[in-house]
Parts: sequence; C-alpha cells; structure tokens
Amino acid sequence: MSQSLDAYLVLASLLFCIGTFGFLARRNAIAMLMSIELMINAVNLVIVAFGAFTPELADRASVIALIVMAVAAAEATVGLAIVIAIYRNRRTPLVDEYHSMRE
Amino acid sequence: MSAQEWLAIGPLLAVFALAMLAVVLDIARPGRDRLVTGVMVVGLLGAIALTGYTAWYFGGGEVEVFGGAYVRDALTSFLDLLFLSIALLTILFSPDYLHPRRLPMAEYASTLMFAISGAMLLGAARDLLVLFLALELLVLPGYMLAGYAKRDGLSTEGAIKYFLLGSFSSAIFLFGLALVWGFAGSTRIPEVAAVLTSLDGAVSLTPALTMGLALLTAGVAFKIAAVPFHYWTPDAYQGSPTPVTGYLSVGPKVAAFALILRLFVDALAPLKADWVPFIVVLAALTMTLGNLVALTQDNIKRMLAYSSIAHTGYILVGLAAYAAAPPGSDTERAGLEALLFYSAAYSFMNLGAFAVVTALQKRTGVTSQITTFAGLGRRAPLLGALMFLFLLSLTGIPPLAGFWAKAYVIIAAVQVDSPWLIGLAVLTVLNAAAAAFYYLRIAVVMYMGEPSEQTAPVQVGRLVSAGLVLSAVATILIGLVPGPVIAFAQEAARALL
Repeated sequence: MSQSLDAYLVLASLLFCIGTFGFLARRNAIAMLMSIELMINAVNLVIVAFGAFTPELADRASVIALIVMAVAAAEATVGLAIVIAIYRNRRTPLVDEYHSMRE
Repeated sequence: MSAQEWLAIGPLLAVFALAMLAVVLDIARPGRDRLVTGVMVVGLLGAIALTGYTAWYFGGGEVEVFGGAYVRDALTSFLDLLFLSIALLTILFSPDYLHPRRLPMAEYASTLMFAISGAMLLGAARDLLVLFLALELLVLPGYMLAGYAKRDGLSTEGAIKYFLLGSFSSAIFLFGLALVWGFAGSTRIPEVAAVLTSLDGAVSLTPALTMGLALLTAGVAFKIAAVPFHYWTPDAYQGSPTPVTGYLSVGPKVAAFALILRLFVDALAPLKADWVPFIVVLAALTMTLGNLVALTQDNIKRMLAYSSIAHTGYILVGLAAYAAAPPGSDTERAGLEALLFYSAAYSFMNLGAFAVVTALQKRTGVTSQITTFAGLGRRAPLLGALMFLFLLSLTGIPPLAGFWAKAYVIIAAVQVDSPWLIGLAVLTVLNAAAAAFYYLRIAVVMYMGEPSEQTAPVQVGRLVSAGLVLSAVATILIGLVPGPVIAFAQEAARALL
C-alpha cells in the first residue's frame, strides 16, 4: 500500500477519466452504462482513500462508500430497464440509431 | 425524536406515505384509476395544509432533525409548498392523458410522489451525503416517468437520453462532492462552511478544491439544463408523455436550484467570489441560446423545452446577483429572493401552458405540432384564452406573474455595482423581447390560423379544468398581489444567509 494520499487520488482521477472517455467514445448504451459505473467506482476509491488517510473521516468513509454503491446499483437497475424498453422498440442498443426526434 | 421534530419532517413523511399508498391501493383495488387520483389529490391538499401549519408553527425559526442532516426553516417550507403544488397540478393534468393511452395511473402517481419526496428532501438537506441521496431520489423516478409510455419509441428514446446524461452528470457531481468532503473533513454543511470561512481567502483555492468546485458546477449545470450542458433537454421533453414533460420542466429544475441554494449558497458561500464569472457566462449563454433555438421550433413541446432553458438563464441571473454582491449586503439577499420568486412564478405559468397542451392531447393521435393550435381561439375560446394568458406571463407582460419575476431578477442584477451584472441585466431585457416572438407566434396561430377540417371539438375533463383554473389563478394573483409571495421569499432567503 502506498503511503501517499495523492497517489490514490491520481489513480482515482485516472479511473474517472477512463470512465468519462468511455462514456463519450462508446456508442453502445450498455457500454455507456458500464462507463458510468466506472466513474462512480472511481469516486468510491476517492472516498475510501480519504477515509484511510484522514483519521477524522475514517469511520464515515466506509458508510458513505456503501451508500454510494447502493445508489449506483439502483441507478443501474433503472438504466437497464430503460435500455430493455428501448431495445424492444428499436432492436438495437446503439445510441446513434436513436434519432427519431429532430435535432 | 420529539414531537417538534416529527412535525418538522411531517410533510416529507406525508408524501412518502402517499407514494406507498398508491402502490397498496393498486394491489387492493387493481385498475381503479379514479380512486387513486382522488386519494392523491386529497392527500396532497392535506400535505399542503400540513406544510402551511408547520410553517406557521415554526415561524421564522429553524428546527434540525436527524442530528442536523435535515433542517426545517422558511426556505424548506417555501420549497415544500412549491413542490407540493407542482405535484398536485401534475396529478390533476395526468389522468386525461394517461387513460386514453391505457397507461396505469397508480404506478405513475407513486413514481411521481417519490420524485417529489426527493425534491422536498433536497430543499431541506444540510448534509452533503443527504443532498446526494435526495438528488438521486429526485432523478431516478424522473427517468422512469420520462419512459413511462414504454411501447412508444419517442418516450423510451427521450428516457434513455435523459438517463444516460443524467447519471453521467450525477457521477461528475458525486466526484466533486467527494473532493469537497475530503477537503473539508465533514459532510455537515455548516461545518464545511466553517472550514472554508476559516481559510479566509488565505489559501483561497487549492487544486483539489478548484477541481471539486468545477465538477460540482458542471454536475449542477446538467441538472438545471444550462447551456452548454442542455443537450438532453429537448429530446427528453419532446419524447416524454406530455404531463410528464410539464413536471420535468418545473419539478427537477426548481429542485436543482434548491440544491444550488443548499450547496453553493449554504456550504460554499466563502468561495462565491471565484464563482461569479462562471455563473455570468452560464446565464448569458443559457438564455440567449435557449431563446434563439426556440424561435425555430415547430413542435410545441420542443419549443417549450428551449423556452425552459431560457428561463433557467433568467433564474441564473438572480444567482449571479447573489454571487457578485458583497457578503452580508441587502443586494446579496435580493438576488436569492429574485431566484425564489422566479421559481415560484415560472412553475405555475409553465405548468399551465403544458396543461393546455395536455388537454388538447386527450384524444390520442393529436400531435405536438404548433399547427394543432390552429383556430383554438374559436374552437375552444376558454382554453385558448388560458393559453394566451400563460404565454403572456411567460413573455413577461404586466401585470402577470412572469413580469414581476423578470423585473425582480433584473432589479437584483442592476443593484449590484458590477459591469458584469449590468451587462447581464441588459441581455436579459433583450432576451425577454426576443422571446415574445415565439410565444406570441402560438397566439397568432391560435387566433388567426384556420383549423384543419377533421379537427374534432376539444373536450376538457373536470380535473384538468380544476388544474387549469388553479394555475391561471396563481399566475394572475402572483402578478396582481405579489406581496405575500415576496414576503415569503424574503423570509426564505433570510433563513439561508
């Protein structure tokens, strides 16, 4: 385990950026959903790292991380339900094909 | 918990109970849409009365519940009343749209109530984690409502765009929240503010805090649909079932401003001077682009979507006035008052406009093209007149609510002695004039246009009529007698500063 908080924050920021890039670059709705999960996990890493390095945050960090995981799970549930609903209508998960409304 | 604390969270619990009750009713008496609607309307009226009583009981004071994570002050009461009115009006407009399309009412009502409870929690949260939870409780049901007509391609398409960009922005917001939390060492908003105040500009912005602030601003800008973070708005609004569009255009927007009040004004106030240029640019871009694109729209829902983006810009002017004013001054409070007053006025007039669109779409197959309004002034004079009233108010014609809303925002901006804000005030006036073109274009179509031959007579249900009358009365009353609302907004702004 590294002894530097900065190292963890940099790692988490990198993960967050990878998630952001994935969200912007991928055109598959499921892959975009996975990228969002990656971003949320990066946030969890930040939270846990703060908890590990700052004594006064130690007891709260794990609780916050758990709650964030629960919220992420709820979000994924709603997201997958919407993806399934639109897949039934359109027969494709590619967001580029969802363009029936005028720009 | 003491009786006082129970009373303080009473309105929130009432809305939770209503959400559950809708589900239970649907299990006990399946398919009884009218029963559910009736129970929701009565329940919401009760919740409004309870909130009014609570506000009167606590007066100007504040009660903290759950160890300070939830606070009931004048701002909470102001926002609760606004959100409950939005819920009531949405419930009144919905059955006439849902029933002919065979969409179930009970699940709709339950989802809407959960979203409203999230909005109410957002307006009362004094803890960063509770703020995030409330935000998710607000937006997750919102995604479901947007995709409520699940066999309709447009509805699901709007829902997936709303969902993907919404959760993307939630993740950005959460990252900012985590950085601020790690920096301040506490999730409690007063403690965060205390840590930031103790810096006293000496270490004004560390890289982590700057990044946190930037991410929070971006996340919130997505939620209020400010340009350039507005791309989800037109499609989500056009695709959603019309009563849902009405709700989405006011509920989540006002709630996101509640989030701004609790987070940026309450917790991050010591950093507000660094924040001014961003809000000024955001406000200027938002109202200008919203209005310019609205001019070219032929679909009324899409047009009102862009118009709601423009209104976000006007509300942001109030926020900019707050941020640019010196701390502790009267001008600072005037900005927040303008923001709150605008939110209230905008909610009623915009919901009213969407209610008219919903009323026309009672018959399935009526599109959202502006041409469906052709000759409405003769086909249904009363409905036409109400639409005209809401459009005039949205334009900002005195003596309606929209006029005072714009006037207060502009006055608040001018009072701040800053070239940025004067420029913004001028831009607001210009934008209000430009907006008149597309609002009044609908009026022209309504009164001068020839209806197409196969148009059937418009039938307006009793519930929709009640909702229309309520919105119209609110729009006129807030315009003619703005005093009480302003006094309430002043009290709410005072609770915050």
